[in-house]
Amino acid sequence: MAQRSVGYTVNVPGFEGPLDLLVTLAHQGKVDLMTIPLADVTREFLDRTRGSLDLNEATEALWMLAALVEMKAKLLLPKAPPPEPLPEIGESDLPEKLEERLAEYRQFRDAAEALRALEDLQQRIFVRPPEGEPPDLLLEGVTLDDLFRAFEAVLTRARKNRAAEVADEPVRVADRKAAILEALSRSPQGLEFGRLFGGRVSTVFIVVTFLALLELIKEHKVRVQQAGPLSPILLAAVPA
Amino acid sequence: MSTWQDEQAAVATPEVEGEEDGALRALAGGVESILFVAGGPVSVDNIAEALGADRAAVVQAIHYLQRRSHGTGLLIQAVAGGYQFGTRPEHAEAVRRFLQSQHSESLTRGALETLAIIAYRQPATRGDIEQIRGVRSDWHIERLLERQLIREVGRRPTAGRPVLFGTTELFLRYFGLNDLSELPPMGPRGVQTLLDAVR
Repeated sequence: MAQRSVGYTVNVPGFEGPLDLLVTLAHQGKVDLMTIPLADVTREFLDRTRGSLDLNEATEALWMLAALVEMKAKLLLPKAPPPEPLPEIGESDLPEKLEERLAEYRQFRDAAEALRALEDLQQRIFVRPPEGEPPDLLLEGVTLDDLFRAFEAVLTRARKNRAAEVADEPVRVADRKAAILEALSRSPQGLEFGRLFGGRVSTVFIVVTFLALLELIKEHKVRVQQAGPLSPILLAAVPA
Repeated sequence: MSTWQDEQAAVATPEVEGEEDGALRALAGGVESILFVAGGPVSVDNIAEALGADRAAVVQAIHYLQRRSHGTGLLIQAVAGGYQFGTRPEHAEAVRRFLQSQHSESLTRGALETLAIIAYRQPATRGDIEQIRGVRSDWHIERLLERQLIREVGRRPTAGRPVLFGTTELFLRYFGLNDLSELPPMGPRGVQTLLDAVR
């Protein structure tokens, strides 16, 4: 079976429950973000990602955390006076309207459940890829997790070496993309992943370089191969 | 019909008198060959044209093939307006091991909710989606665009001319649907009908 997404849960003073529920309630003003320590929420998130990491889940959670920070930041700023009173809604109308909206949302939530069932089934049915067309494989024999672990290894090594932690000049993704393509053009046989990062470099440099690599893979400009589980991860430019 | 409906229909349809005659079997053989070499869903029209047969006969032949496929490793699915061979779900683990493919990434709950709103309401704007979900959904919309399950279909001629989103052909194939009318009915009953059919 496909893995069921469980989502991130929050357990801090003032709120216990799924992260997406916290976002929804905060958005609707039903939870006072001023009373929720977002630093704790973030720490919990980081602790959980250290154990095991589902990239899809983690990036979504990260996006929700960012939304919470944005909302809280707005709350902390002094408010401009409200421009106009809100349009008249009869007091008695309000609960009804809310209930209506909630009912509508539940319909779509159920529909999403149905789509999930179809997705589960369809992911267990395989069809032939069209002949002649190379499969859309940008990672050959290597999973995104492998790549991420290799990245972590480089990062850990850099942290041990404690090279210049403060980047002396800004590192830009665009520059790193150009540098990767340049390095790959000089190694037509393929370049080993670890060699992208050179010797003593800063954390920022490594992170930005990795982001640049991911973008190049997504743009179909770089191919990643690994012959076997313990073989080196090789990068090669995709001929235009 | 989508897979979950096919399975029901195929089981429910009784053997028609004299159906397994030579002509039908010969036509079914031709249909089978075409589906075998095709790299994606093939429409009944295209099959009929290639075989010089009429549509009704082709449809009959497909139903015959679907019934006959029970107990084999393959099934014939109606998706995105055509028919295609697929492996049966019960062999998924073996096929996956053979292809050394990792689990395809499932959509997250938020992404599925966003997609459901777009699918049932299409065309829909960001605002429509946010109003129903109560939260900003830009992140999900970006991911769905990236996975080509939705696309921009135009702009609503109102203030700000917001972008309208609709589902793609890949959406139909991703969920094994023949067309949008096969979306499960909304509400809790729809889910139940569907889950019963799938099991």
